[in-house]
Amino acid sequence: MKSPLGWAALTAFSLLFFAFIYAPLFVIIGYSFNSNPVNMMIWEEFTLDWYTGIFGLTERAMDANSRAAYIESTDQMLAALRNSLFVAVFTTTISTVMGTATAIALARYRFRARKLYDGFLLLPMMMPDIVLGIGLLIFFVTLGMQLSLMTIIIGHCTFLTSYVFIIVQARMAGLNPALEEASADLGASEWVTLRKVLLPQLAPGIMGGALLAFVISMDDLVITYFVSGTGDTTLPVFIFGMIRRGVKPEINAIATLLILASVAIAALGLWLRSRKTD
Amino acid sequence: MALRRQSAILAVLLAPVTMFLGVFFLLPLLIIALFSFLTPGLYGGVEWAFYHWNYGRIFGWADGIMEVYEPVYLQILGRSLGYAALTVMLCLILCYPVAFWVSRLPARWRLVFLFLITLPFFSSLIVRLYAWLLILKPSGILNTVLMATGLISEPLEILYSPAAVVLGMVYVMIPFMFLPLFASVDNLDRAQVEASMDLGGNRLQTFVKVILPQTLPGIMGGAVIVFIPSVGNFIVPDILGGAKGLMIGNLVEQQFLSARNWPFGAALSMIIMSVVLFVLLIAVTRARRGQP
Repeated sequence: MKSPLGWAALTAFSLLFFAFIYAPLFVIIGYSFNSNPVNMMIWEEFTLDWYTGIFGLTERAMDANSRAAYIESTDQMLAALRNSLFVAVFTTTISTVMGTATAIALARYRFRARKLYDGFLLLPMMMPDIVLGIGLLIFFVTLGMQLSLMTIIIGHCTFLTSYVFIIVQARMAGLNPALEEASADLGASEWVTLRKVLLPQLAPGIMGGALLAFVISMDDLVITYFVSGTGDTTLPVFIFGMIRRGVKPEINAIATLLILASVAIAALGLWLRSRKTD
Repeated sequence: MALRRQSAILAVLLAPVTMFLGVFFLLPLLIIALFSFLTPGLYGGVEWAFYHWNYGRIFGWADGIMEVYEPVYLQILGRSLGYAALTVMLCLILCYPVAFWVSRLPARWRLVFLFLITLPFFSSLIVRLYAWLLILKPSGILNTVLMATGLISEPLEILYSPAAVVLGMVYVMIPFMFLPLFASVDNLDRAQVEASMDLGGNRLQTFVKVILPQTLPGIMGGAVIVFIPSVGNFIVPDILGGAKGLMIGNLVEQQFLSARNWPFGAALSMIIMSVVLFVLLIAVTRARRGQP
């Protein structure tokens, strides 16, 4: 059925497709090492200035004012990175606990509202982030809550709980309930069974869900954009603002570091998933 | 006794998620609905009085004094739906052949290419869009290459155009289309395909009568997952689209963060929400009836 010519055409198309996906990432990486600050598209020479620059390490010929502005924006970027990490750690913890608890409840207990929960848990994931973002903004402001890192964490948890739920649920479906029954028959209480039998088996799914929640939280732009206070930006919002104000060559270096970080995290996730459970 | 203990555990497991999503997900959505029927305050904020002109301003029953009907809002809504539909089509055209190709690779390579598809999903959205900004700029890579090869003499003005918006959306949505599509293509019953060919069906007939119906659940799933975030998108048009590439998400953002007309912004958001719920409803009912 598969003709060699058809297969060759399909292969060519597919390889072009992957080139299309990866070309933009390589463009950024390439130009983060280009010394030409005026037109980044014209290659001048190899430099690490943009990397040392974003961490405030480059001694460049600048007047005092622009030097001060430069250091200030570096500080802001590092503060944004710290905020992102802070938010992601709390969001991951909260949404992982809630998502896992829900997945266990829906898989192991029969109750009337089960179907309802099943659909309801998908809704925050499917709701466009702009709708959720402005909904939360009106809600917080109407209630008189100060917009802060805490409102960002709340915003992230609303939809990331759904992501964790889906992933843990998929893992639940593959488990053998007989093990839990055996544990109960041998006299273990529900909590002991949960802790000693169910959770260890679920661990890879929970880790996978937590990792996804962490990555998406670190990357979320829209919801953060609406519910962050003036003082607290996260890294994506900071980069968004930087791009809106005009392209600066430092963005290439920041972006390259972010790409490398995500490759590392994705590889870690794949490794966790491929690991066999005992 | 055992039953009471069970329901106690169930309550502990479900109480946090119920309260959290009840307060921070359902209530905010209800508040958008409420605000869309309130009077805009003079200096931002709202006055708590019923007001239907927010919708009137969009759909045509504006009072003509405070609120003016502008067909532009409906045009932008239509454009957003159009761009989202186009994004779905293009993602499908790109991903469908590749899904077949990946599913036929030896196991080891399949894993590699599946990983390569999901990797961009893990890398920052804003970074990937920024890359397209660099590529599409008048002095960007695309124009530099095309001019150097003599294909064009003037730089193409792709950036800040509808084409750039759709390209950007296709680019960020590809993983969301590919994964559901791949799942259904991978489950394709090869025996049926061969049977169809053996029984004298030609390639087209086999595709339409055997392959397409079997992969339709993946196509529909991918289409819904790509369409929904595309309709309300405002980041992609903000970075890659100009005034001509404005989408309804940009209108919402403007109303909230610069025009400070929250009730009007809420009315626009209600429209996005209605479109999304409508699409989800169709997808769910069709899936229930057992047809893709």
